[in-house]
Amino acid sequence: MLNKTLSETCNEVIFSSFFKSNAKMLRNFLFYKFGNKEKAEDLVQEAFIRLWQNCQDVPIEKAKSYVYTVANNGALNIIAHEKVVLNYSKTTTSRDKTHETPEFILEEKQFKKKLLTAIANLNETQRVAFLMHRIDGKKYIEIAEELNIGIKAVEKRISQALLELRKEINNLK
Amino acid sequence: MKKNYLHAKWLNEEMNEEELAAFQASDDYELYEKIKIYSSQLEVADFNEEKIIQKIISRKKTKTKQITLYTIWFSKIAAILIIVLGLFYSVEKISIVNQITDNGEKRTFLLPDHSEVVLNSGSEVNYKKWNWNTNRELKLNGEAYFAVTKGKKFKVKTKLGIVTVLGTHFNVKTKKNQFNVTCFEGRVKVNYQKAQLILTSGQSVTFENGKQTNTTSQITKPIWIDNQMSFQQEKLTAIITEIEKQYNVTIIIKTKNTENVFSGKIPTNNLDTALQIISTTYNLNYSIAKDQIIFEEK
Repeated sequence: MLNKTLSETCNEVIFSSFFKSNAKMLRNFLFYKFGNKEKAEDLVQEAFIRLWQNCQDVPIEKAKSYVYTVANNGALNIIAHEKVVLNYSKTTTSRDKTHETPEFILEEKQFKKKLLTAIANLNETQRVAFLMHRIDGKKYIEIAEELNIGIKAVEKRISQALLELRKEINNLK
Repeated sequence: MKKNYLHAKWLNEEMNEEELAAFQASDDYELYEKIKIYSSQLEVADFNEEKIIQKIISRKKTKTKQITLYTIWFSKIAAILIIVLGLFYSVEKISIVNQITDNGEKRTFLLPDHSEVVLNSGSEVNYKKWNWNTNRELKLNGEAYFAVTKGKKFKVKTKLGIVTVLGTHFNVKTKKNQFNVTCFEGRVKVNYQKAQLILTSGQSVTFENGKQTNTTSQITKPIWIDNQMSFQQEKLTAIITEIEKQYNVTIIIKTKNTENVFSGKIPTNNLDTALQIISTTYNLNYSIAKDQIIFEEK
Protein backbone atom coordinates (compact mmCIF):
# COMPACT_ATOMS: atom_id res chain seq x y z
CA MET A 1 0.00 0.00 0.00
CA LEU A 2 2.77 2.43 -0.85
CA ASN A 3 1.37 5.72 -1.99
CA LYS A 4 4.90 6.92 -2.63
CA THR A 5 6.26 6.01 -6.05
CA LEU A 6 9.74 4.66 -6.36
CA SER A 7 12.32 7.44 -6.48
CA GLU A 8 13.91 7.99 -9.90
CA THR A 9 17.29 7.49 -8.30
CA CYS A 10 16.30 3.87 -7.72
CA ASN A 11 15.80 3.29 -11.43
CA GLU A 12 18.80 1.31 -12.62
CA VAL A 13 19.03 3.09 -16.00
CA ILE A 14 18.79 6.56 -14.50
CA PHE A 15 21.23 5.67 -11.74
CA SER A 16 23.74 4.22 -14.23
CA SER A 17 23.63 7.26 -16.48
CA PHE A 18 23.97 9.52 -13.46
CA PHE A 19 26.96 7.48 -12.38
CA LYS A 20 28.60 7.68 -15.81
CA SER A 21 28.22 11.43 -16.06
CA ASN A 22 29.52 12.13 -12.56
CA ALA A 23 31.75 9.35 -11.27
CA LYS A 24 34.93 10.29 -13.11
CA MET A 25 34.58 13.96 -12.23
CA LEU A 26 34.10 13.08 -8.60
CA ARG A 27 37.09 10.76 -8.73
CA ASN A 28 39.19 13.54 -10.28
CA PHE A 29 38.04 16.07 -7.72
CA LEU A 30 39.04 13.74 -4.86
CA PHE A 31 42.31 12.98 -6.58
CA TYR A 32 43.18 16.69 -7.03
CA LYS A 33 42.43 17.14 -3.41
CA PHE A 34 44.27 14.21 -1.88
CA GLY A 35 46.64 12.98 -4.56
CA ASN A 36 45.78 9.30 -4.08
CA LYS A 37 44.00 7.75 -7.03
CA GLU A 38 43.11 4.39 -5.46
CA LYS A 39 41.63 5.99 -2.36
CA ALA A 40 39.75 8.46 -4.55
CA GLU A 41 38.22 5.59 -6.49
CA ASP A 42 37.29 3.75 -3.30
CA LEU A 43 35.59 6.87 -2.02
CA VAL A 44 33.68 7.29 -5.26
CA GLN A 45 32.50 3.71 -5.02
CA GLU A 46 31.47 4.10 -1.39
CA ALA A 47 29.63 7.33 -2.11
CA PHE A 48 27.67 5.83 -4.99
CA ILE A 49 26.87 2.72 -2.97
CA ARG A 50 25.46 4.96 -0.26
CA LEU A 51 23.41 6.80 -2.87
CA TRP A 52 22.15 3.53 -4.35
CA GLN A 53 21.20 2.16 -0.97
CA ASN A 54 19.42 5.36 0.01
CA CYS A 55 18.04 5.99 -3.48
CA GLN A 56 14.52 6.22 -2.12
CA ASP A 57 15.45 9.22 0.02
CA VAL A 58 17.64 11.14 -2.43
CA PRO A 59 15.95 12.72 -5.46
CA ILE A 60 18.08 12.62 -8.61
CA GLU A 61 18.41 16.43 -8.64
CA LYS A 62 20.12 16.28 -5.27
CA ALA A 63 22.17 13.18 -6.01
CA LYS A 64 25.22 15.11 -7.21
CA SER A 65 25.68 17.20 -4.11
CA TYR A 66 24.89 14.05 -2.08
CA VAL A 67 27.77 12.02 -3.56
CA TYR A 68 30.19 14.97 -3.32
CA THR A 69 29.29 15.47 0.32
CA VAL A 70 29.47 11.79 1.20
CA ALA A 71 32.79 11.30 -0.57
CA ASN A 72 34.25 14.45 0.93
CA ASN A 73 33.16 13.53 4.45
CA GLY A 74 34.51 10.01 4.03
CA ALA A 75 37.82 11.44 2.87
CA LEU A 76 38.30 13.79 5.79
CA ASN A 77 39.26 11.04 8.14
CA ILE A 78 40.92 8.34 6.16
CA ILE A 79 43.09 10.03 3.58
CA ALA A 80 46.58 11.26 4.19
CA HIS A 81 47.30 13.96 1.68
CA GLU A 82 49.84 13.04 -0.94
CA LYS A 83 51.51 14.86 -3.78
CA VAL A 84 49.31 14.96 -6.84
CA VAL A 85 50.99 13.11 -9.69
CA LEU A 86 49.61 13.95 -13.12
CA ASN A 87 50.43 12.92 -16.66
CA TYR A 88 50.37 14.77 -19.94
CA SER A 89 48.17 13.38 -22.58
CA LYS A 90 50.32 11.47 -25.07
CA THR A 91 48.13 12.28 -28.01
CA THR A 92 48.52 16.01 -27.70
CA THR A 93 50.99 17.51 -30.08
CA SER A 94 52.49 20.91 -30.10
CA ARG A 95 50.55 23.55 -31.93
CA ASP A 96 53.38 24.46 -34.21
CA LYS A 97 55.20 21.58 -35.84
CA THR A 98 57.85 23.82 -37.32
CA HIS A 99 59.15 24.69 -33.88
CA GLU A 100 59.99 21.10 -33.04
CA THR A 101 63.68 21.49 -32.96
CA PRO A 102 65.59 19.37 -30.44
CA GLU A 103 66.11 22.50 -28.33
CA PHE A 104 62.44 23.25 -28.37
CA ILE A 105 61.53 19.69 -27.38
CA LEU A 106 63.98 19.74 -24.50
CA GLU A 107 62.73 23.11 -23.32
CA GLU A 108 59.15 21.94 -23.55
CA LYS A 109 59.98 18.83 -21.53
CA GLN A 110 61.63 20.89 -18.85
CA PHE A 111 58.73 23.30 -18.68
CA LYS A 112 56.20 20.49 -18.38
CA LYS A 113 58.18 19.04 -15.50
CA LYS A 114 58.31 22.40 -13.73
CA LEU A 115 54.60 22.91 -14.24
CA LEU A 116 53.84 19.53 -12.62
CA THR A 117 56.02 20.35 -9.64
CA ALA A 118 54.41 23.76 -9.30
CA ILE A 119 50.90 22.29 -9.45
CA ALA A 120 51.82 19.70 -6.81
CA ASN A 121 53.03 22.52 -4.60
CA LEU A 122 49.86 24.60 -4.91
CA ASN A 123 47.66 24.70 -1.89
CA GLU A 124 44.72 22.34 -1.93
CA THR A 125 41.89 24.77 -2.69
CA GLN A 126 43.77 26.48 -5.51
CA ARG A 127 44.87 23.19 -7.02
CA VAL A 128 41.39 21.67 -6.92
CA ALA A 129 39.76 24.65 -8.63
CA PHE A 130 42.56 25.02 -11.18
CA LEU A 131 42.62 21.37 -12.19
CA MET A 132 38.83 21.12 -12.36
CA HIS A 133 39.00 23.90 -14.91
CA ARG A 134 42.05 22.74 -16.83
CA ILE A 135 41.60 18.97 -16.86
CA ASP A 136 37.87 18.50 -16.52
CA GLY A 137 37.07 21.59 -18.58
CA LYS A 138 34.47 22.75 -16.11
CA LYS A 139 33.01 26.22 -16.13
CA TYR A 140 33.61 28.38 -13.08
CA ILE A 141 29.93 28.19 -12.21
CA GLU A 142 30.05 24.37 -12.21
CA ILE A 143 33.13 24.38 -10.01
CA ALA A 144 31.40 26.78 -7.64
CA GLU A 145 28.40 24.47 -7.38
CA GLU A 146 30.44 21.37 -6.80
CA LEU A 147 32.66 22.99 -4.19
CA ASN A 148 29.67 24.66 -2.65
CA ILE A 149 31.29 28.11 -2.87
CA GLY A 150 30.54 31.35 -4.75
CA ILE A 151 31.73 31.99 -8.28
CA LYS A 152 33.91 34.89 -7.10
CA ALA A 153 35.67 32.51 -4.74
CA VAL A 154 36.41 30.23 -7.69
CA GLU A 155 37.81 33.12 -9.71
CA LYS A 156 39.92 34.14 -6.75
CA ARG A 157 41.32 30.64 -6.35
CA ILE A 158 42.08 30.35 -10.08
CA SER A 159 43.82 33.72 -10.16
CA GLN A 160 45.84 32.89 -7.08
CA ALA A 161 46.73 29.54 -8.60
CA LEU A 162 48.06 31.25 -11.75
CA LEU A 163 50.08 33.75 -9.72
CA GLU A 164 51.49 30.95 -7.59
CA LEU A 165 52.37 28.84 -10.60
CA ARG A 166 54.19 31.73 -12.22
CA LYS A 167 56.12 32.37 -9.05
CA GLU A 168 57.03 28.70 -8.59
CA ILE A 169 58.09 28.21 -12.20
CA ASN A 170 60.23 31.35 -12.11
CA ASN A 171 61.83 30.12 -8.91
CA LEU A 172 62.55 26.75 -10.48
CA LYS A 173 64.60 28.31 -13.24
CA MET B 1 35.38 46.20 -2.78
CA LYS B 2 35.05 45.14 -6.34
CA LYS B 3 37.82 42.92 -7.31
CA ASN B 4 38.29 41.54 -10.79
CA TYR B 5 40.29 38.42 -10.90
CA LEU B 6 41.92 39.20 -14.19
CA HIS B 7 43.94 36.03 -14.43
CA ALA B 8 40.89 33.92 -13.91
CA LYS B 9 39.03 35.94 -16.50
CA TRP B 10 41.83 35.46 -18.94
CA LEU B 11 42.09 31.75 -18.35
CA ASN B 12 38.38 31.42 -18.96
CA GLU B 13 38.64 33.57 -22.07
CA GLU B 14 36.27 36.18 -20.74
CA MET B 15 38.48 39.24 -21.34
CA ASN B 16 37.42 41.93 -23.71
CA GLU B 17 39.86 43.06 -26.37
CA GLU B 18 41.14 45.94 -24.32
CA GLU B 19 41.84 43.83 -21.27
CA LEU B 20 43.42 41.13 -23.38
CA ALA B 21 45.73 43.57 -25.12
CA ALA B 22 46.87 44.93 -21.78
CA PHE B 23 47.42 41.46 -20.39
CA GLN B 24 49.34 40.31 -23.45
CA ALA B 25 51.65 43.27 -23.02
CA SER B 26 52.54 42.26 -19.46
CA ASP B 27 55.93 40.66 -18.65
CA ASP B 28 54.80 37.20 -17.80
CA TYR B 29 52.22 36.79 -20.49
CA GLU B 30 54.30 34.22 -22.31
CA LEU B 31 54.66 32.14 -19.17
CA TYR B 32 50.93 32.28 -18.45
CA GLU B 33 50.22 31.26 -22.00
CA LYS B 34 52.48 28.24 -21.57
CA ILE B 35 50.80 27.32 -18.29
CA LYS B 36 47.45 27.56 -20.02
CA ILE B 37 48.49 25.38 -22.93
CA TYR B 38 50.34 22.70 -21.07
CA SER B 39 47.90 22.47 -18.19
CA SER B 40 45.17 21.72 -20.71
CA GLN B 41 47.19 18.73 -21.89
CA LEU B 42 47.11 17.20 -18.44
CA GLU B 43 44.98 14.19 -17.82
CA VAL B 44 44.05 11.70 -15.19
CA ALA B 45 43.85 8.05 -16.11
CA ASP B 46 40.40 6.72 -16.83
CA PHE B 47 38.90 4.36 -14.39
CA ASN B 48 36.75 1.38 -15.07
CA GLU B 49 33.32 2.88 -14.64
CA GLU B 50 31.50 -0.13 -16.06
CA LYS B 51 33.04 -2.47 -13.54
CA ILE B 52 32.31 -0.16 -10.65
CA ILE B 53 28.70 0.49 -11.59
CA GLN B 54 28.08 -3.26 -11.84
CA LYS B 55 29.66 -3.69 -8.44
CA ILE B 56 27.47 -0.99 -6.94
CA ILE B 57 24.23 -2.23 -8.42
CA SER B 58 24.91 -5.84 -7.45
CA ARG B 59 26.00 -4.68 -4.01
CA LYS B 60 22.52 -3.49 -3.23
CA LYS B 61 21.01 -6.82 -4.17
CA THR B 62 23.38 -8.81 -2.01
CA LYS B 63 22.95 -6.31 0.76
CA THR B 64 19.18 -6.74 0.70
CA LYS B 65 19.61 -10.48 0.72
CA GLN B 66 21.95 -10.21 3.64
CA ILE B 67 19.37 -8.25 5.55
CA THR B 68 16.67 -10.85 4.96
CA LEU B 69 18.99 -13.72 5.78
CA TYR B 70 20.12 -11.93 8.86
CA THR B 71 16.56 -11.22 9.91
CA ILE B 72 15.51 -14.83 9.36
CA TRP B 73 18.57 -16.03 11.20
CA PHE B 74 17.85 -13.63 14.02
CA SER B 75 14.21 -14.61 14.32
CA LYS B 76 15.19 -18.28 14.28
CA ILE B 77 17.49 -17.72 17.21
CA ALA B 78 14.85 -15.68 18.97
CA ALA B 79 12.29 -18.45 18.43
CA ILE B 80 14.67 -21.12 19.71
CA LEU B 81 15.47 -19.00 22.73
CA ILE B 82 11.82 -18.52 23.52
CA ILE B 83 11.14 -22.24 23.22
CA VAL B 84 14.14 -23.16 25.35
CA LEU B 85 13.24 -20.58 27.97
CA GLY B 86 9.63 -21.75 27.91
CA LEU B 87 10.76 -25.36 28.38
CA PHE B 88 13.03 -24.35 31.22
CA TYR B 89 10.23 -22.48 32.85
CA SER B 90 7.67 -25.25 32.49
CA VAL B 91 10.14 -27.94 33.57
CA GLU B 92 10.90 -25.87 36.63
CA LYS B 93 7.28 -25.23 37.22
CA ILE B 94 6.30 -28.87 36.78
CA SER B 95 9.24 -30.11 38.75
CA ILE B 96 8.37 -28.17 41.91
CA VAL B 97 7.07 -30.67 44.42
CA ASN B 98 4.88 -29.47 47.22
CA GLN B 99 4.22 -31.69 50.23
CA ILE B 100 1.71 -30.43 52.79
CA THR B 101 0.41 -32.14 55.87
CA ASP B 102 -2.80 -31.09 57.58
CA ASN B 103 -3.19 -30.87 61.28
CA GLY B 104 -3.26 -34.39 62.71
CA GLU B 105 -1.48 -35.83 59.70
CA LYS B 106 2.08 -37.09 59.37
CA ARG B 107 3.68 -38.10 56.13
CA THR B 108 6.85 -39.90 55.16
CA PHE B 109 8.22 -39.48 51.64
CA LEU B 110 11.44 -39.93 49.72
CA LEU B 111 13.33 -37.26 47.83
CA PRO B 112 14.77 -38.11 44.38
CA ASP B 113 18.07 -39.16 46.00
CA HIS B 114 16.20 -41.47 48.40
CA SER B 115 16.72 -39.15 51.33
CA GLU B 116 13.85 -39.63 53.71
CA VAL B 117 11.65 -36.86 54.94
CA VAL B 118 9.09 -37.30 57.70
CA LEU B 119 6.81 -34.31 57.72
CA ASN B 120 5.09 -33.54 60.99
CA SER B 121 1.52 -32.23 61.21
CA GLY B 122 0.67 -28.84 59.73
CA SER B 123 3.95 -28.53 57.84
CA GLU B 124 4.97 -27.88 54.30
CA VAL B 125 7.98 -28.75 52.14
CA ASN B 126 8.82 -27.43 48.66
CA TYR B 127 11.57 -28.66 46.42
CA LYS B 128 12.58 -28.91 42.77
CA LYS B 129 12.65 -32.46 41.49
CA TRP B 130 14.55 -31.35 38.42
CA ASN B 131 18.32 -31.40 38.80
CA TRP B 132 17.85 -32.46 42.41
CA ASN B 133 21.11 -34.38 42.77
CA THR B 134 23.24 -31.32 42.07
CA ASN B 135 21.01 -28.88 43.87
CA ARG B 136 19.64 -30.45 47.01
CA GLU B 137 17.70 -27.62 48.48
CA LEU B 138 14.24 -27.48 49.97
CA LYS B 139 12.03 -25.06 51.79
CA LEU B 140 10.43 -26.03 55.05
CA ASN B 141 7.64 -24.44 56.98
CA GLY B 142 6.84 -26.37 60.17
CA GLU B 143 8.66 -29.45 61.37
CA ALA B 144 10.33 -32.32 59.60
CA TYR B 145 12.81 -35.08 60.24
CA PHE B 146 15.44 -35.71 57.57
CA ALA B 147 17.50 -38.82 56.95
CA VAL B 148 19.80 -37.53 54.21
CA THR B 149 21.77 -39.89 51.98
CA LYS B 150 25.37 -38.93 51.41
CA GLY B 151 26.02 -36.64 48.47
CA LYS B 152 26.22 -32.96 47.62
CA LYS B 153 25.27 -30.25 50.10
CA PHE B 154 21.75 -30.62 51.37
CA LYS B 155 20.05 -27.40 52.40
CA VAL B 156 16.91 -26.84 54.38
CA LYS B 157 15.72 -23.27 54.12
CA THR B 158 13.21 -21.91 56.58
CA LYS B 159 11.93 -18.43 57.22
CA LEU B 160 14.13 -18.22 60.30
CA GLY B 161 17.34 -19.98 59.33
CA ILE B 162 19.17 -22.37 57.07
CA VAL B 163 20.45 -25.86 57.86
CA THR B 164 23.20 -27.29 55.70
CA VAL B 165 24.38 -30.91 55.80
CA LEU B 166 26.19 -33.44 53.66
CA GLY B 167 24.54 -36.65 54.80
CA THR B 168 22.99 -37.15 58.18
CA HIS B 169 19.82 -37.47 60.23
CA PHE B 170 18.36 -34.38 61.74
CA ASN B 171 15.16 -32.62 62.68
CA VAL B 172 14.17 -29.06 61.82
CA LYS B 173 11.28 -27.31 63.51
CA THR B 174 9.99 -23.80 62.96
CA LYS B 175 7.02 -22.24 64.63
CA LYS B 176 6.33 -18.54 64.83
CA ASN B 177 9.59 -17.19 66.24
CA GLN B 178 11.07 -20.51 67.25
CA PHE B 179 13.68 -22.31 65.17
CA ASN B 180 14.89 -25.65 66.45
CA VAL B 181 17.43 -28.02 64.92
CA THR B 182 18.38 -31.37 66.38
CA CYS B 183 21.13 -33.52 64.96
CA PHE B 184 20.87 -37.29 65.41
CA GLU B 185 23.76 -38.43 63.27
CA GLY B 186 26.70 -36.79 61.50
CA ARG B 187 27.17 -33.03 61.43
CA VAL B 188 24.76 -30.23 60.71
CA LYS B 189 25.50 -26.59 59.96
CA VAL B 190 22.92 -24.13 61.22
CA ASN B 191 22.58 -20.52 60.09
CA TYR B 192 20.31 -18.27 62.07
CA GLN B 193 20.40 -14.58 61.28
CA LYS B 194 24.15 -13.84 61.49
CA ALA B 195 24.98 -16.78 63.73
CA GLN B 196 26.44 -20.01 62.38
CA LEU B 197 27.16 -23.17 64.36
CA ILE B 198 27.83 -26.85 63.83
CA LEU B 199 25.82 -29.51 65.61
CA THR B 200 27.07 -33.05 66.06
CA SER B 201 24.96 -36.08 66.92
CA GLY B 202 22.87 -35.67 70.03
CA GLN B 203 23.10 -31.88 69.98
CA SER B 204 20.16 -29.60 69.63
CA VAL B 205 19.81 -25.86 69.32
CA THR B 206 16.81 -23.61 69.70
CA PHE B 207 16.62 -19.99 68.68
CA GLU B 208 13.73 -18.03 69.99
CA ASN B 209 13.45 -14.29 69.38
CA GLY B 210 17.21 -14.15 68.88
CA LYS B 211 17.96 -16.14 72.06
CA GLN B 212 20.04 -19.30 71.62
CA THR B 213 19.57 -22.43 73.78
CA ASN B 214 21.76 -25.48 73.37
CA THR B 215 20.67 -28.89 74.70
CA THR B 216 21.88 -32.44 74.32
CA SER B 217 19.94 -35.69 74.35
CA GLN B 218 20.63 -39.37 73.83
CA ILE B 219 17.64 -40.06 71.57
CA THR B 220 18.37 -41.29 68.05
CA LYS B 221 15.33 -39.84 66.32
CA PRO B 222 12.73 -37.23 67.16
CA ILE B 223 10.09 -38.49 69.51
CA TRP B 224 7.26 -37.18 67.35
CA ILE B 225 8.14 -39.88 64.90
CA ASP B 226 7.24 -42.36 67.61
CA ASN B 227 3.99 -40.52 68.14
CA GLN B 228 5.08 -38.50 71.13
CA MET B 229 5.45 -34.81 71.85
CA SER B 230 8.07 -33.58 74.24
CA PHE B 231 7.75 -30.35 76.20
CA GLN B 232 10.41 -28.55 78.15
CA GLN B 233 8.90 -26.11 80.62
CA GLU B 234 6.12 -24.98 78.34
CA LYS B 235 3.01 -23.07 79.30
CA LEU B 236 -0.45 -24.65 79.00
CA THR B 237 -1.42 -22.51 76.01
CA ALA B 238 1.61 -23.70 74.02
CA ILE B 239 0.84 -27.35 74.88
CA ILE B 240 -2.82 -26.95 73.92
CA THR B 241 -1.80 -25.44 70.56
CA GLU B 242 0.39 -28.47 69.86
CA ILE B 243 -2.33 -30.92 70.81
CA GLU B 244 -4.81 -29.10 68.57
CA LYS B 245 -2.33 -29.35 65.72
CA GLN B 246 -1.49 -33.03 66.26
CA TYR B 247 -5.05 -34.25 66.72
CA ASN B 248 -6.75 -31.63 64.56
CA VAL B 249 -9.20 -30.72 67.31
CA THR B 250 -10.41 -27.50 68.90
CA ILE B 251 -9.75 -27.07 72.58
CA ILE B 252 -11.26 -24.44 74.81
CA ILE B 253 -9.68 -23.70 78.18
CA LYS B 254 -11.84 -22.17 80.88
CA THR B 255 -9.22 -21.48 83.51
CA LYS B 256 -6.98 -18.60 84.46
CA ASN B 257 -4.33 -20.96 85.69
CA THR B 258 -2.33 -21.15 82.42
CA GLU B 259 1.01 -19.82 83.65
CA ASN B 260 2.27 -23.07 85.17
CA VAL B 261 4.83 -24.79 83.02
CA PHE B 262 4.91 -28.44 82.03
CA SER B 263 7.81 -30.71 81.14
CA GLY B 264 7.22 -34.18 79.80
CA LYS B 265 5.92 -36.27 76.95
CA ILE B 266 2.44 -36.47 75.53
CA PRO B 267 1.38 -39.13 72.99
CA THR B 268 0.20 -37.98 69.58
CA ASN B 269 -1.74 -41.14 68.73
CA ASN B 270 -3.98 -41.38 71.77
CA LEU B 271 -6.18 -38.35 72.43
CA ASP B 272 -7.66 -39.74 75.66
CA THR B 273 -4.24 -40.28 77.23
CA ALA B 274 -3.12 -36.86 76.10
CA LEU B 275 -6.19 -35.18 77.59
CA GLN B 276 -5.82 -37.14 80.82
CA ILE B 277 -2.19 -36.01 81.21
CA ILE B 278 -3.25 -32.38 80.83
CA SER B 279 -6.24 -32.68 83.14
CA THR B 280 -4.20 -34.41 85.85
CA THR B 281 -1.26 -32.02 85.64
CA TYR B 282 -3.32 -28.86 85.67
CA ASN B 283 -6.09 -30.29 87.88
CA LEU B 284 -8.84 -29.69 85.33
CA ASN B 285 -11.93 -31.56 84.15
CA TYR B 286 -12.46 -32.09 80.46
CA SER B 287 -15.56 -32.81 78.41
CA ILE B 288 -16.02 -33.54 74.73
CA ALA B 289 -18.92 -31.72 73.15
CA LYS B 290 -19.53 -31.72 69.40
CA ASP B 291 -16.17 -30.89 67.81
CA GLN B 292 -14.85 -29.16 70.87
CA ILE B 293 -12.93 -30.27 73.91
CA ILE B 294 -13.50 -28.10 76.95
CA PHE B 295 -11.15 -27.91 79.95
CA GLU B 296 -12.79 -26.50 83.06
CA GLU B 297 -11.68 -25.92 86.62
CA LYS B 298 -12.90 -28.53 89.01
